[in-house]
Amino acid sequence: MIDFHTHPVLIREVIGDDPDMLKVTREIFDIGNNLMPLEIFFLQMDTAGIEKAVLLPIDCRKSKGLPISTSEIVGKLSRENERFIGFASVDPMDKDAPKRLEEDVKKWNLKGLKLSPAAQGFCVTDKENTYPVYEKASSLKLPVLFHMGMSWEPGTKISQGTPLPLEEVAYDFPNLNIVIAHFAWPFVDVAAALSWKYKNIYIDTSALYFDSPKEFIHYVMNHQLPVTLIERSLRDKIVFGSNYPRVEIKNMANAVRSLGLSEGCLKLIFKENAERLLGI
Amino acid sequence: MIIKLEKVTVVSRKDIEAIDVTPIVEDVVKNSGVTNGMVFVYTMHTSSGLIVTEGIPCLEEDIMNYLSKIVPEEGNYRHQRYLDFDGRVGFNADTHIKSILGGINAFFSIENKKIIKGSRQTLYFLEFDGPLERTICIQVMGE
Repeated sequence: MIDFHTHPVLIREVIGDDPDMLKVTREIFDIGNNLMPLEIFFLQMDTAGIEKAVLLPIDCRKSKGLPISTSEIVGKLSRENERFIGFASVDPMDKDAPKRLEEDVKKWNLKGLKLSPAAQGFCVTDKENTYPVYEKASSLKLPVLFHMGMSWEPGTKISQGTPLPLEEVAYDFPNLNIVIAHFAWPFVDVAAALSWKYKNIYIDTSALYFDSPKEFIHYVMNHQLPVTLIERSLRDKIVFGSNYPRVEIKNMANAVRSLGLSEGCLKLIFKENAERLLGI
Repeated sequence: MIIKLEKVTVVSRKDIEAIDVTPIVEDVVKNSGVTNGMVFVYTMHTSSGLIVTEGIPCLEEDIMNYLSKIVPEEGNYRHQRYLDFDGRVGFNADTHIKSILGGINAFFSIENKKIIKGSRQTLYFLEFDGPLERTICIQVMGE
């Protein structure tokens, strides 16, 4: 079982006494929960029946002044803990981004790339800046997880999370696997259509914007979309993601498990689709 | 008069868990220098509890199960909304209500450096939203 969407922003051993790191957690990522020892992260995974978790940094140095974690932090965590799978993050507006991506991936054995157009302040179809990064990710066989839909972080725009422009990216880079995060809520139907049409577009389940995880997941996957679409047509295209620590992993896992999907479909969502994407 | 306050870390390892903290409190009392007086214990978290009951596993399970029946996880809780000060949705109203029902503190008398309690009385930290690192405060007062 794999959680495809977590952030190392509350791990005490990572934040330490660094005021900048704490500022990132409180003001840029914008979460108020207490810092917790690394042990709690693993206990959270255990409670949810999750074996491995993808750790996501966001290189938003240019747009926000400080990064929300880094490839190096994630790389060290995943190197020291086999239950973590590290992703890289680079700023596409940085001319060295493709080179740095390759260096970071090779140095830290990272398995994917995280990009957030809203937090990093770029347009996914800005060919001059983003296409060299996509080209590099494609050549390194890295899946790219895009933050899509609404963002909680202050100073981010919903308009930068509309998933439809990703069609052009999927079309121009047919060998680049794309993961649309947060089911792109509220643009759920567009995300589903893109994933249905393009073999290289996937969706993660880490969507919670109101109500409880069960209520929200049922609203998205059993109301905005028919759950039969997930069961019959998108079963190979959805990966489980919690967005921990914005949501406890157990709550999101229980919500997805409560949809009434078949065991085979749940196995794909919780495990096999992620393994295929990550090449593990 | 001696007044000592200790903040003790308790790590819950499950979603819902009753953790016997009696030995922890006894140790703090023993090392406090207080011979006769009282000890006040409370949890610092609003989704946890602190109770006194008989210390046997079947009762631990019954208490947690019945609190969950009285206050189900899923309900029409207004708390299930985005909390801007937390940067996340609050969906654990049930755990806060369980905390109120179970209570968050306990007092014991101290005599000859020992807690005076019934032979079956056990002091439990109740985790309603774990696993998490938690803190309990133990204040010893006396002479």
